[in-house]
Amino acid sequence: MINRARTDTPVVSLRGLRKQFLVGGALPWSPKRVVNAVDGVDLELREGEVVALVGQSGSGKTTVSRLILGLERPSSGEIWLDGQRWDSLSEAERRARRLPYQYVPQDAMGALDPQQTALEHVMETLTVLGGCAPADAEAKGMAMLRRLGLAERRDALPREMSGGEQRRVTLARVLALEPRLVVADEPTSGLDPDRRGSVLEDLIGNLPPKAACVLVTHDMSEARDWCHRVVVMLAGRVIEEVDLHAARPAHPYARVLFDPWSGPLPRGELASTGCPFRPDCPDAAGVAGGRCAAELPTLRPRGPEGSGAHRVACHAEGPRQAPSADPAQVGAS
Amino acid sequence: MSALVEMRGLGIRSAHRTLVEDISFDIDAGKVTALVGPSGAGKSLTARATMCVLDVAPGLFAGSLRYPAHDPAIDWFEGVRGGGARAQAALLERSRVLRGAYLTYSPQAASSALNPGRTIGQQLAMAIGRRAQPPADLGEEIRRVLADVGLSPRAAASLPGELSGGMCQRAALAIAVAPKPRLVIADEPETGLDPVLRRAVVELLVEVCQVHGAGLLLISHHEDTVQRLAHAVIRLPGRSGGGER
Repeated sequence: MINRARTDTPVVSLRGLRKQFLVGGALPWSPKRVVNAVDGVDLELREGEVVALVGQSGSGKTTVSRLILGLERPSSGEIWLDGQRWDSLSEAERRARRLPYQYVPQDAMGALDPQQTALEHVMETLTVLGGCAPADAEAKGMAMLRRLGLAERRDALPREMSGGEQRRVTLARVLALEPRLVVADEPTSGLDPDRRGSVLEDLIGNLPPKAACVLVTHDMSEARDWCHRVVVMLAGRVIEEVDLHAARPAHPYARVLFDPWSGPLPRGELASTGCPFRPDCPDAAGVAGGRCAAELPTLRPRGPEGSGAHRVACHAEGPRQAPSADPAQVGAS
Repeated sequence: MSALVEMRGLGIRSAHRTLVEDISFDIDAGKVTALVGPSGAGKSLTARATMCVLDVAPGLFAGSLRYPAHDPAIDWFEGVRGGGARAQAALLERSRVLRGAYLTYSPQAASSALNPGRTIGQQLAMAIGRRAQPPADLGEEIRRVLADVGLSPRAAASLPGELSGGMCQRAALAIAVAPKPRLVIADEPETGLDPVLRRAVVELLVEVCQVHGAGLLLISHHEDTVQRLAHAVIRLPGRSGGGER
């Protein structure tokens, strides 16, 4: 369970972030079309905060996580890391500053060198990126492996490790650098449910106290249990930000995502004007004046004081009281 | 209605420990039977044993397996219990006639179920060829099976690499039901999917099995899926002593 203190100091600020990709057709000469993978995302992460980025495949969550780290260039908008503009830096300038901002990949086996042991992976990171002397790197690397329960596996090669152990080595490499920000792209993907919790416990429990973390996930119970805040994405936009310890998801799409058995499944058709979820939305018919068809909803505060902790982009949503139902039941799937 | 599978007292051990012990269950025709249990409980091992695939040595030490809807008199584990790898290999060969006809298997990853060098239509034709009664018009039957899983007839001419992940998943499902099996064994079809797609895939699997009159053995980690869809649940106990993290 999440038990980390947050401060008000922002680590990441995204302002009006957009990313377009040109996608070709089936044949080389087929006309290309523009895909808005990220379409106007504003987001802030503060020190100590763990934020889940959730959404269906293709919603833009992985692109946002890559944009934050400078692995993609935005088409427009701004990325600020620790008060410094990040997207306008050259790649050489970013490389010199990248050390505190680390990435945990989805495919642990693909990220590991098949010829290196667990300890060698961590030592190499500490010497090449962290500038440690080899003796220091060995001591620090062993300390980190010990914290992650891998001390006895120090000499194991990736193929000799279980899926969970491989994930832990990728975590050890990143955490040994004492990062300021960790972006973890589905770090538990492909693991059995009972092993997922322990991998997240190792990641979030060993983050430096003031580090922020973005957890990209498909698993709503992970988002609920391990994150301060959940950011729900649809068609490249943020449609809801919610602290699941205090409230239930309110956007009709977010409700389906957190409890897919609650009603009919969306067919997945997205509208090109107005609210993209309109074709599948059960609430659109109740909104007066055809606003859902005409106007793209923007994120607006929801809750008793409009405190900003819960924001929803939906025309069917007005300011209202927080529900009294037990939020711990949310996203139990 | 006779059961499709009657497993009694299944016991399998490796060289070091007992992997599953005293597992008994029936799988009924036209029903969804879920196979659940914690990691390492032996779900995949039990599912493979249900297909007469025993690939652990010394392996099977107890149990009987009958397919009453095929031939209630045959205990397929007869002569295999305690017989080690050689007896298990002989069983694998002897039971070949069942797999792909009486029962089919839908693996976790659609990509591993499809041959990348053959079109979906060619692969479906092979699967339909496993039926006892071949259809009068193969092309029409391929179109019909594709329609059952929500794919257009154009998918028949596509190689797996030309289809999206979701379409490949549907194609793999079409191949699993195309032989008109009595039982489909689906090994964690929800793995790696987002919640909406997870429900869509499992519902499609159940619907297609019901359209084809097949029973379904569904290995799942998701309690909500099991509660919503399963008619019967086989719960395997966790292995004592814990496992790796």
